[in-house]
Amino acid sequence: MLQIKNIEKYYGNKNNVTKALDRISFDVSDGEFIAIMGASGSGKTTLLNCISTIDTVSAGDILLQGENIAKLSAEELAGFRREKLGFVFQDCNLLDTLTIEENIGLALSLNHADPHKVRKKVEEIAEKLEIADILDKFPYQVSGGQKQRAACARGMAAGQSLLLADEPTGALDSRASKNLLEIMTRMNQEMNVTILMVTHDAYSAGYAKRVLFLKDGRLFSELLRGERSRSVFYHEILDILALLGGDISDVI
Amino acid sequence: MLFKLSLRNAQRQSRDYLVYFITLVMSSALMYSFNSLVFSEEVLFLAANIASLPAVIIFASIVVIFIIGWLVSYTTRFMLLRRSRELGTYLLIGLENKQTARLFFLENLTVGIFALIAGILSGCFLFQAMRAVILTLFGTPYTLALSLSIRAVLLTVIYYALIYLFAQFKNRKRIHSMKIYDLIYYEKYNEDIVIQTDKRRRRIFTVSIVLGAAGTLLLLTGNPLFGLIGACCIIAFLYGFFLSFASGVPAFFEKRPARKYQGQTLLIFRTLTAKLATIGTLMATISLLLTAVIISEGCGQCIHALFLERAKQDCCFDLFISSRGKARDHTFPDYVGENIPIKSSWLYRIYLNDNAQVLDYISERTEYYQCFEKDTLIKFSDYAALRKMMGYPAVTLPQNACLIHCIPFLSDILQDYDEPITVGDTALTPDGVYTELLSQTWDSGNGHQYILVVPDEVLTDCPSSHEIYAAMTSEPVSEAQFQALSEILPDTANAVSLRAKSIEEAGAASGIVLFVFPLYYLALILTMTAAAILTIQQLAETDRYRRQFSLLGKLGMRRAEMIKVLRGQFVLYYAMPALPPVLIGTSFIYYMGNMAEPGTLAGASSPLMIVLGTLALFFFIYAIYIVLAYTSLKRNVLPERT
Repeated sequence: MLQIKNIEKYYGNKNNVTKALDRISFDVSDGEFIAIMGASGSGKTTLLNCISTIDTVSAGDILLQGENIAKLSAEELAGFRREKLGFVFQDCNLLDTLTIEENIGLALSLNHADPHKVRKKVEEIAEKLEIADILDKFPYQVSGGQKQRAACARGMAAGQSLLLADEPTGALDSRASKNLLEIMTRMNQEMNVTILMVTHDAYSAGYAKRVLFLKDGRLFSELLRGERSRSVFYHEILDILALLGGDISDVI
Repeated sequence: MLFKLSLRNAQRQSRDYLVYFITLVMSSALMYSFNSLVFSEEVLFLAANIASLPAVIIFASIVVIFIIGWLVSYTTRFMLLRRSRELGTYLLIGLENKQTARLFFLENLTVGIFALIAGILSGCFLFQAMRAVILTLFGTPYTLALSLSIRAVLLTVIYYALIYLFAQFKNRKRIHSMKIYDLIYYEKYNEDIVIQTDKRRRRIFTVSIVLGAAGTLLLLTGNPLFGLIGACCIIAFLYGFFLSFASGVPAFFEKRPARKYQGQTLLIFRTLTAKLATIGTLMATISLLLTAVIISEGCGQCIHALFLERAKQDCCFDLFISSRGKARDHTFPDYVGENIPIKSSWLYRIYLNDNAQVLDYISERTEYYQCFEKDTLIKFSDYAALRKMMGYPAVTLPQNACLIHCIPFLSDILQDYDEPITVGDTALTPDGVYTELLSQTWDSGNGHQYILVVPDEVLTDCPSSHEIYAAMTSEPVSEAQFQALSEILPDTANAVSLRAKSIEEAGAASGIVLFVFPLYYLALILTMTAAAILTIQQLAETDRYRRQFSLLGKLGMRRAEMIKVLRGQFVLYYAMPALPPVLIGTSFIYYMGNMAEPGTLAGASSPLMIVLGTLALFFFIYAIYIVLAYTSLKRNVLPERT
């Protein structure tokens, strides 16, 4: 589904260049749940921003369903984000003037969905993500976990093929985090949503099928869960993080 | 240290509050220029009846103090709320409430003093512009004479101090009583539905609409008591409407979800309702102010047009003396001969026909205020002499024909008149209609709004209505000469009427300065206050808009679509409070324009043109604020073009 080929990203000017991403390559298959981990400044969010077309790469190619997104115009990129990508951010990024229903419906509305079918579609997704009872509430009236589930619902409402999540549990307590991660796992397993999640948190990464570790902008290691239980996988992640060094205190 | 911090804060907020600052500068400029009028001997000596101008301006200024006081008080309170977290942090790090209040006071005082200085300086130029307009109205030559009136400056400073100190005092009190928690968590609030139940909301909405319509109708009755009740109804309508509308819109879309998700409706209507729900009362107040603006501007334009048109129609001759008896019997010719340099003059009579053919014809077709029982007539020789005196092109009168001279308003009706006009035993065919100015007002003019010009020989048996002495002078008749003439002429039972073009024009000019200037003064201050508050509210949302568009960009909305959304949100936001005032105000002005004697306000001064002129002036000033806010917001909130 997604192919990352030798991408590089530099910031700064001639005299002071910072390499945020250094020749990173990996593939994401349909229906995968991948976590990207690394210490602060390792390039996780830059990588996610490049994939989400919010930022551009300095070199290399990103192909989504065979289409090279680096070659698209601003207009095409907007259309691309609208139709193919869903976003979940740490701070939810729901519009506070819209109700939860409208926030989810917005993604459909932007995709020019039939206005008569929007509410029904929103209700269906809300039912699956267990937020049907808060649809008429405003974001400030619901909990952080509910907001994140609403953001997940918005991220898949219009049939987007890839859900990009940037520290989705970052602002949640442990119970809400667990709840959200279970929902994301269900989205991945039952609805076949492909998820790419950036996280600091080893516990969150434990829910993924594969974990990519970044260090100083380079792909440091990769860990596949396979048939192992989540707790075994979690400990393996911690082992790799120990090898990575740096912000260990941040990740547990 | 504290002062440095204040200055830095004032500087940082300059973007959001630039509009507020400009409004303060413009208000103080207006205040200073009107105060200069109060102390301008040059203006006050222009005419005797302008002596009451200082009292009128001071009265208007008291209203202005209240309005600007509200603006300052509202804006500082608004700033306080917006910066509550920052002020809370000051308290948190150990500053006392007293010190924080002083910090806030110093900031606002700095802004106020700068605005006052800039306002007084620009007021000097504004006063020159007003002086030029007034002197032109009085036909006095204008020469630029820039000066600073110390007394006007002092009065402006006093007004300003009253406005500012009151607002600051209130805020100081507010900060003194605030707790850290209140300050830090004040912003955690979004939308609140003021009227909760559907049924109640619908009822209030319906009642408010009925009150609005009834209030407008009552205003149009012209009866002071009904007018007062009407004004109260309109106030109730505006508050009821804005409070129920904000809560009613989400309910409307709740029942029609498909409409909500159509195009950009969702984003546009939600932003509007979120705003209306939190500032519904403010919107109603703004709407009320805008209603007052349109009514003041409309009244101003009506009075302006009425004074000018009346002066023009009442007397086009430099001197015009009309007498029910014989004008030649009075002693005025001696005074005129000795004191007024006459270029040309004419003494003639106006006759009454024995029928009212044309009068009836006009009365059947339009509203006509009757002054004579029968049609009025003038000899062709007198008419030709008057035309010559006025410099109008000469006309001829064919045999057995007559001409009609009327005001332009009656021209269309009388052009179609083709019945023979009977004077004594002679039937005369109408041969043309002329509409130049000819002093055709009241019962002492050349007929009332129209006169029939007939051959001299047919007037042998017609009774005379009044005798007129009309003259053109080499210099305009002065106020002293006019006064002397009024004393010579006995005014028993309105038998004698004295008019002079220069005096009519001076009267109109005085009326305009006395009534129209203060009305425009109030209208300008009200428009600026209302538009400034709306714009401050809008610009204060810059961060929220930026977050909204940044997210929409991430979700794949095109820039062109974002511009459409922003425009839609803007149009609705500014149109909402302006719509009821436009409907109420225009119907009131149109009615007022039609209250004048038919024909007085016609052509470019017709009620319709007055309404259009009022709306154009109103929207011109309103649009400046909209464009300012829109360009600033567009630049700051939309993502960069890639």
